[in-house]
Amino acid sequence: MTTESMSAETAARGAPLVEMRDVSIAFGGIKAVDHASLDLYPGEVVGLLGHNGAGKSTLIKVLSGAYKRDAGTILVDGREAEINNPRDAKALGIETIYQTLALADNVDAAANLYLGRELRTRWGTLDDIAMEAACREVMGRLNPNFRRFKEPVKSLSGGQRQSVAIARAIHFNARILIMDEPTAALGPQETAQVGELIKQLKAQGIGIFLISHDIHDVFDLADRLTVMKNGRVVGSARVADVTKDEVLGMIIMGKVPPGAVPGPGAI
Amino acid sequence: MKFKTLTLLAGALVMSIAPTAVLAAGKTIAVSWKTFQEERWKIDEAAIKAVVEAAGDTYVSTDAQGSAQKQAADIEALIGQNVDVILVVAYDSDAILPSIQKINDAGIKAIAYDVQFEDPNALYITFDNVGVGRIMAQEMLKVKPEGRYAFIKGDKGDPNATFLFQGMMEVLKANIDGGKIQNVCETFTDGWKPDNAQKNMEQCLTSTNNGVDAVLSENDGMASGVVAALDAQGLAGTVPVTGQDGDLAAINRVALGTQLVSVWKNSTDLGTVAANAAIALADGADPTSIEGVAKFNGGAKGVEMNSILLAPTPITKDNIQVAIDAGHITKEQACAGVAAGAVPACG
Amino acid sequence: MTNTTIGGPAAANENAVQRFIRALELDTRMLGMLVALVVIWVGFDIASGVMRPGSGGLFGGSFLTPRNLWILLVQTTVIAVMTTGMVLVIVLRQIDLSVGSMLSVVAVATGVLQVFELGPMLGVGHPVIWLAAVVFAIALGSAIGFVNGVLIAYGQIPSFIVTLGGLIAFSGTAFLIASGVTVAPMDKTFKLFGGNGPAASIGPIWSWVLGAAVCVMIVIMIVMSRRRRIHFKFATKPIWAEFLTGIVGCAAVLGITAVVNAYPYPPRVAERFALDNGIPIPPGVEDRAGTDICMAGEKVVSCLDGLSFATGYPIPVLITLAVAVTMTFIARRTRFGRYVFATGGNPEAAELAGVNTKWLTVKVFTLMGALVGISAIIASARLDAATTALGTLNELYVIAAAVIGGTSLAGGIGTIYGAIAGALLMQSLQSGMALLNVDSAYTNILVGGVLVLAVFVDQLYRRRVN
Repeated sequence: MTTESMSAETAARGAPLVEMRDVSIAFGGIKAVDHASLDLYPGEVVGLLGHNGAGKSTLIKVLSGAYKRDAGTILVDGREAEINNPRDAKALGIETIYQTLALADNVDAAANLYLGRELRTRWGTLDDIAMEAACREVMGRLNPNFRRFKEPVKSLSGGQRQSVAIARAIHFNARILIMDEPTAALGPQETAQVGELIKQLKAQGIGIFLISHDIHDVFDLADRLTVMKNGRVVGSARVADVTKDEVLGMIIMGKVPPGAVPGPGAI
Repeated sequence: MKFKTLTLLAGALVMSIAPTAVLAAGKTIAVSWKTFQEERWKIDEAAIKAVVEAAGDTYVSTDAQGSAQKQAADIEALIGQNVDVILVVAYDSDAILPSIQKINDAGIKAIAYDVQFEDPNALYITFDNVGVGRIMAQEMLKVKPEGRYAFIKGDKGDPNATFLFQGMMEVLKANIDGGKIQNVCETFTDGWKPDNAQKNMEQCLTSTNNGVDAVLSENDGMASGVVAALDAQGLAGTVPVTGQDGDLAAINRVALGTQLVSVWKNSTDLGTVAANAAIALADGADPTSIEGVAKFNGGAKGVEMNSILLAPTPITKDNIQVAIDAGHITKEQACAGVAAGAVPACG
Repeated sequence: MTNTTIGGPAAANENAVQRFIRALELDTRMLGMLVALVVIWVGFDIASGVMRPGSGGLFGGSFLTPRNLWILLVQTTVIAVMTTGMVLVIVLRQIDLSVGSMLSVVAVATGVLQVFELGPMLGVGHPVIWLAAVVFAIALGSAIGFVNGVLIAYGQIPSFIVTLGGLIAFSGTAFLIASGVTVAPMDKTFKLFGGNGPAASIGPIWSWVLGAAVCVMIVIMIVMSRRRRIHFKFATKPIWAEFLTGIVGCAAVLGITAVVNAYPYPPRVAERFALDNGIPIPPGVEDRAGTDICMAGEKVVSCLDGLSFATGYPIPVLITLAVAVTMTFIARRTRFGRYVFATGGNPEAAELAGVNTKWLTVKVFTLMGALVGISAIIASARLDAATTALGTLNELYVIAAAVIGGTSLAGGIGTIYGAIAGALLMQSLQSGMALLNVDSAYTNILVGGVLVLAVFVDQLYRRRVN
């Protein structure tokens, strides 16, 4: 596929939700992300692949506000966005499910669901009952067997914790969803559930970044994929235009197949 | 009264040494202070400086800033300056001994000022600490020769707390053995803290159902806690309380009648006596020839030393004027809240 | 934690006692502490009764008497107020070692302000003095706490170091402020915060009014909570459990009220109060064991059935209760409190969820400072003097109270009421030992041992629960 055909498709889908241009970030002199560019359209799933330490989680944390970039621009809905902390990202409708889940283990599911966005009564106090009610509602959809609303999430199973983290990301009308290794801690059945969920969200027009080192997941769920290596983008491609072996070649050697658009990290 | 004779004795000491001092012009008297963090040493210094300079001698000093190492270096520096006498306020009575040896080796005279170090060649000048306990008990006996006594002792880790108690017991023993005095409460007070003393006194009053006739508190800070506890039971002013240090607030309590006595170590007296002794030593006087010098071996190692033990001054309602005259406290501070005519010094 | 949803996995195979505890949503850990407290109290009462028979306590001693319990409550206040703040500090995975020295600084500075500055300026006893002193103490405490917080959060210096520095530096500061002298006496009105004297307690009528009001509040809260749960169609507690909670809560409040009202003015205080207010003292026969006062001829004596005045709740205890309620509210019902717990549970997660954890840290340390200010007021008012020694080592008791009360040094876990119970337990040990005239060396060993034992038992408990 050529660049032209890609941009033709771009035109068909309208403006990108997110565009990251030449984003760089370094820690202690080591360039974790080096001039990386990435975009995402409504209702699209973009897989981000690469080895551990390739820079994919770091790049995505720049978008979610966890890290502050050293250089580069981020456009949301075509407008330059100032993302300096997680609050900024959330205000733009960017929600993240972190690999670590980022749950406060000592409080219950509802408190985690609403962490940072608590419902309050008209006296300004926490409205725990309303939050619990909403939590029961959203968890009822994601994980109908879930009952342990009063327990700290520390005592929940891996899958239950995962569903709390997912509930938190989708409950606040996210437009851009970042999922960092969402199935790493899950069994086959739960993994399938997450796949179903991604398809539902996609149908609602939400744009999703799916970070994974599992190439099969990405081929099952993503529309496009981008491969990173040593902090640089090796290349991007439509999933339909490349084979798994070609993508493996990109991940391991940085070799870009004809079906992909090379990035600055290509050899 | 006994304290008057003692005060007179101190005065006589000052007087008897002063004339010899005139001959000693041109000598250098040095002081190695352990720390100037504590306010009181400034009063000592002023007294020493006044006597030394009046005699035409030179006063030099160093401040160890609460460090044994710094004090050792300070003393070496003073030896280097060829001073005639070094008064040492030791930060650590054991760690100081090598430095004292160096002073002796250099042919310089050493005086242990207020804090003892055990070197037979040095002259030890301090207040009589066991005497403080005795004075407290004597003052208490005057007003309560019999009854139920409570003892609020200082920190258990501080040997002074035990010395004080021993002094009290020497005086009270006869009356305790004769059944006239009962020991109803006796507690150590962690860190000499007033709030701990207050709690201990509250529990003492609770356990005895207010059956306490006299309280021997070992210092003024704790006395403030004791008086607060007595006050809560409406007993402040009727149950006499002792203390020491001449705290300004304590002297005010003495004037108000809520505290019986504050035994006060007048630092000006100590400084004056020590400075005069130093001048005499600088002149080559034999330590034993200095007035008031006696043998003392009450230290931890029992080393016999020449020493001058000054008697502290008990401040009671009758002689608050002494502290006012010494510039230790103003009349306003001493007499705040005192009814007219109640206390001589307050008018 | 309990699970209210009927049919949840935890409901299976539990016995009647477990079902009972679950229905009441009881904090079993707290229950254990209360049992320990009762055992200690009864033990001390029996022991003191053996030592001095006929002291009038519940078991013949002098510990479980209204007088001792009243004093015990007052003695606990200084540590209790500070420990409520320390709970939040520790929950946030921080520590504040400087609270004792901070108390010294605030107490001495406030003492100097009222005795040396405002007293001579406005005239001793001017009503502005106590008000200015109170505002100043809380403001100064908050300011010091704020600086601590900024250094920790934005200077990125570990709180252990910042507050260890504070512990050392503030005691020096306190010394310098008043050149080491004891500042006394405090303003007459300010002194009331210490709880000494007739005017420093609210008397029997207001104590009953307060007790009844709290009782009504408890009932209202139970009803409101139940209605909210029904509204959202949540499972509710069985109705008998609601009633039992209400009855036990009310009985506890009214019981404590009865105890503080059963402590009469000490005889000499009552005598002065009667004289000052022109209340006639009835004639009677002297009885040393009595707590009333009578006229035996010309003399005022203790007697069994004469004149007496009930004391009621002392002001420092009311302040402590108000602090406890406010801090519980802050910890449980506000966004700030939720953030403190969430950040303590997982600082990174809280930051990623949008919590400004640095500013949160500053706020928690500022709050801690304000509470130290309140404690400084109580401590110096109670002693009627401010000295550098006041507050020394208090940090250890404040931290120990929080830990005995179930606050986990790993962060994220702790309750305000637990910490206050911890402070009460520790003060009970100290007061009880002093009552038995035991050397403070043994008391220190006992308190230290209890601290370690409490944490050990807590660990066992948590392991069993999880």
